[in-house]
Formats: sequence, structure tokens, C-alpha cells
Amino acid sequence: MSTLIRASELVKLPVVTHGGEDVAQIKDVVYAAHGGQIESFTLAGRGLFAGPLKTALPWGKVTGLGTAAVIIESEDDLVPLAEALATSAHDGPGRGDVLNSQVLTDQGTALGTVSDVVIGILGDPATGQADVVGYEILPAETMNKGKQRLLIPLPDTIAASGEHLIVPASASDYLTDDLAHFGSAVDAFRAQLGEKS
Amino acid sequence: MDWWVWLIIVIVVIAVIVGGVIAVQAKRRAGGVIINDGKNKRGDRG
Repeated sequence: MSTLIRASELVKLPVVTHGGEDVAQIKDVVYAAHGGQIESFTLAGRGLFAGPLKTALPWGKVTGLGTAAVIIESEDDLVPLAEALATSAHDGPGRGDVLNSQVLTDQGTALGTVSDVVIGILGDPATGQADVVGYEILPAETMNKGKQRLLIPLPDTIAASGEHLIVPASASDYLTDDLAHFGSAVDAFRAQLGEKS
Repeated sequence: MDWWVWLIIVIVVIAVIVGGVIAVQAKRRAGGVIINDGKNKRGDRG
């Protein structure tokens, strides 16, 4: 399995060029509704008075990704925001931020609300691929799991449109609260889905 | 009113405005996770 990180660990990381210039910080993680592939990051300026920038950082331009910074070749790697985002990303019902969205099974059971998103990175960021592999959820009261946040694996093809995020009912069998073991849960869940199809 | 009262008022007003701007910008910088249902820029996953 790939390296797993939470999206919240990327947010606010500084974006630094190979020349050492601190050009921005990560604002939003943008992923594809169909496939879950990480496409880009929206950016905000650095400093107390800075707001969102009108540029974005495509995932393909990231040359290094650590706990302290996101490394890019140069500021020229940033692209206009409109180019990185489809026009519908902020428009229409259900588009936009998935945090606090409700997670439902395909049988209509409410599992909880999304508190974070788990990203799997395959290999080196410069050449590798990053995908959304799971959600961290605050369990619904009906699940009797208390307020402990749980990780739920996602299938290889994500159903993520509308105001609700739909997952296969069998995903609830692979719930865990441990990110270290979540990779194996994702693998097992996807293998189980593959056996069914 | 004494001059120092006006001074305090001006300082408080400036502090509120600066604090407000910082708070608004911090909220605008706050991040999230966005679903993009548009065209995939890097092609389909393999």
C-alpha cells in the first residue's frame, strides 16, 4: 500500500521552490469526483493579511512532499486557478468542500460526517500518483461508536457527487481508528469488492 | 474630552479594524477538500 496522509496535514503547508522561496501555502486539496485522483492544490498567500491566491498548484508539479513543506521547481509551476479547477467545482449543489458532508452506504444507512480525507501516495510525488483512499468520519449516533473518529475505506472508483458521499455497505466492515493499519483495510476492502464483481 | 481619550478611542478603533481584517483573511485562508467533477487534468487513473 502507499503512504497514507490526512488532507488536514497538507493544508497550510508552505509551498517552497528549489531556490528556497516561500511562495504560498496550501489552502484546499482538490480531487477528481470520478476516480479520486488528487489533481491540484488551491493556494493562499503567506502572512497575516494574505488571502486566497488566484493560482493553483497541479499535483504533477510537486517535486517533494514532507511534513514541513511542499517543494516545487519554481514559481512558474503555479497555474491560474480557473485552469486547475473545472468551472463546476464551486458551483451547484454538493460541489465544493466535502468536509462535514454526510456519508451514506448504498443501502441508505448514515455512517457519519466527513471530518478529514485520507490520501494514499504511490511512490515519489514527482512521478507518483495520489488518490483519496478513505474518509475520516465522525460516526452517526445510530452506529453507537461514540465520538471516536473512524476511518472508512473507499472503492477504487468513488461515488462523490451531490451532497452525500455514497460508499458500498460493506465498507462499514472495514472501519478502523488506526491510520497505520488503514492501508491494509483499504486493500482488503478493494480486494473484496473485486471478488464480488 | 481630553486628548488622551480620543487617542485611546483611535487606538481601539484601529486595533478592531486590524483584528477584523486578520480574522477575515485567516478564515479565507482556511482550507478544505474540494471535489472537482470536471475534466481530469492528469488523465484517468490506471
